[in-house]
Amino acid sequence: MPVQVYSLYIFDRHTECIYSKQWFQPAAPAPSALPSTASDQHRPANGTDPAITAVEQPPPAKPRRNKGGDDAKLIFGTVFSLRNMVRKLGGDDDAFISFRTAQYKLHYYETPTNLRFALLTEPGALSMRNVLHQIYINLWVEYVVKNPLSPVEHKGGEGVRNEMFELGLDKFIRGLM
Amino acid sequence: MWSVAGGRERVAMSENRGILALIVINKAGGLIYNRTFGDGLNQLNTNDYLVLAGTFHGVHAITTRLSPLKQQQAASITADGIPSRPDPPSGLEVLESENFRLQCFNTLTGTKFLLFTDNLQANVDVAMRKVYDLYADYVTKNPFYQLEMPIRCDTFDRKLNSYIREINNAR
Repeated sequence: MPVQVYSLYIFDRHTECIYSKQWFQPAAPAPSALPSTASDQHRPANGTDPAITAVEQPPPAKPRRNKGGDDAKLIFGTVFSLRNMVRKLGGDDDAFISFRTAQYKLHYYETPTNLRFALLTEPGALSMRNVLHQIYINLWVEYVVKNPLSPVEHKGGEGVRNEMFELGLDKFIRGLM
Repeated sequence: MWSVAGGRERVAMSENRGILALIVINKAGGLIYNRTFGDGLNQLNTNDYLVLAGTFHGVHAITTRLSPLKQQQAASITADGIPSRPDPPSGLEVLESENFRLQCFNTLTGTKFLLFTDNLQANVDVAMRKVYDLYADYVTKNPFYQLEMPIRCDTFDRKLNSYIREINNAR
């Protein structure tokens, strides 16, 4: 079953984001094309006055923040808090697996060495825990841990962004979509 | 004799299953109600529950901002001049762990209902709806209840208990 994958984040045991990748780049819709189609399809005919409506202008777009870095920090904070909450309630052997909102679903996998994987997919996706496990076993261990040139600690993503890992990951994720 | 023993066994079986706990958080992130219905979850002290409520409130706010599709959400062009506002992004709705499942219902006024169940419990939406109905009927219509304050309503407690017991025993 194809599943839409949005992004993957990897955090090391020092809580630093050492790898992140987006697969979904939302295309900004053309502003001129939208109003006519939206009004045709969605709005009931309730006789609004065109004189009033012509004055209204769409609000100017807000400046974009530094999305990638901020999102990684927010995601780490979220999964860290939820993981602690789950362990407090479910006991120390309990593990946080995923959470879902109406817009997306976040899957979480943590290795015993506190390496954390967070994968964002569409909300209807089934459990992707095995996928994260596969990424750890077949890609992380093979191409990052076993790489003799890779450092033990991946400060700033050093050693993670090698060609084999990137290619293997991209191929694996695109195979799911 | 036989039926009594069977009934007791069934009650004992259902101790760790079904609906495990209910937590209500007000719009400021304060804990206003918590109750456990079985020992599927660790027992926490009151302070831990307060911390948990506050933490969850914050996490819930963050999860609304993490949507990878928010670019499209923001592009709400006015249709015929009337702002067609898309639904605001919802925060965390369902959380799954190895031992339990957490369903969160955020009312329009910002009160959050957290229902902890086991992983196999079905129709949690229906149960949540019913809990919300009970809240509306026996808490907010109680003339002595002040909004956003801790819920201390005997009738609500009784109705909630009997409803949850009914669900947990039905399994």
